[in-house]
Amino acid sequence: MILIINTTADTSITSDLREALAGKGATDFEIVEAAGMKISHCVGCNFCWLKTPGICSIKDDYEEILKKMITADQLWVISGTSLGFLDHKGKNIFDRIMPLVTMYLKFKGNQMRHVMRYKKNADVGLIYEGEADRAYLERWNERAALNIGTKSLGVFPAEEWKEAVLCMH
Amino acid sequence: MHALIINGSPRVKKYSNTDKILLKITAGMEESGATYEQYEVSDRSQWPKIRERFYLCDHILIALPLYVECIPGLLIEFLETLDAERKAAALENSAKRPVMSFLLQSGFAEGVQLRCGEAYLEMLADRLGCEYGGTLVKGDNFSIRLFEGEQREKITGAYQAMGKIYGRDGAFRDEACRKFTGPEVFPLPVRLLVGTIFKTLAKKGFKDKAKEWGCTRPLDDKPYLQ
Repeated sequence: MILIINTTADTSITSDLREALAGKGATDFEIVEAAGMKISHCVGCNFCWLKTPGICSIKDDYEEILKKMITADQLWVISGTSLGFLDHKGKNIFDRIMPLVTMYLKFKGNQMRHVMRYKKNADVGLIYEGEADRAYLERWNERAALNIGTKSLGVFPAEEWKEAVLCMH
Repeated sequence: MHALIINGSPRVKKYSNTDKILLKITAGMEESGATYEQYEVSDRSQWPKIRERFYLCDHILIALPLYVECIPGLLIEFLETLDAERKAAALENSAKRPVMSFLLQSGFAEGVQLRCGEAYLEMLADRLGCEYGGTLVKGDNFSIRLFEGEQREKITGAYQAMGKIYGRDGAFRDEACRKFTGPEVFPLPVRLLVGTIFKTLAKKGFKDKAKEWGCTRPLDDKPYLQ
């Protein structure tokens, strides 16, 4: 399943993606328009690791997204930008992903990582609107995906959305 | 030297590891004769005051935990609210740019884990119209919150010397600050040993702590599969 989370108010891009995915015969995808949803920042309470394992202490609209994430093969986040990076709405989607990993630790290669909570996690792609440092975002997305034991699907400015669609399957 | 210190952690001050580190940094700064004012991004009521002071101080130190390889969403949200006119003025007047330094801390212990975040901070200083004063990078801080007294001191104590340097230089450019990070990755024998500890002692420690916190489920519970 391809899960697309749009944190921007621009729904034209998701309309284009929907049409393009349908056009190439994809049926197993879901688009979440998150711009109007109530999604807080992560407060770093660690409850999702040590008090209510796997469950975020913040009761807002993010929980529904988290439930979808554990069934997804690909996660695509559409984000606005700020100061050369994701804006806070986009970053919050990533920061709140912590319930997908456990408190337990292991070495993967030569680096410490958390032990995953679920067998499957989604590979991660990023589409951004506005000015940002693309090379940095590519580096960052590779690292972000490592946090859930997966890989980057690529980073694309919104105007290159068709390139992103080629990676959606 | 007077510094505006911003604790960029989204965690409330009482439980903030970054705050406990800053207690040592500021103690070191005082030893150097430096002064400071500290604000918390976790407390939105302080945002107007931080904005007011942001471009009036010659030295700015943002201390933050690494959140998914970069800066926390809440800190981004705050920085998005900075006064555009003052930022533009700072960008234009390179002679009077404030020196912006960072303290980047994480739970994972190896230096390599923080480099992606550090790379962004260098870009961020420039985008905010500031001169980059370097980043003090250090991992292995997760348990600060879980410990008190001597155990906490063991983790945070060494930061005081870094605070002294920051108070002296108004930046983290000194070679001692670079070395403070420790190993980029652990050698294989250490990884094997620590890996074994993760599976045994650390696992038990986390389970005990969870019990203390009132946890009634296994730590690897899968709530959304039920």
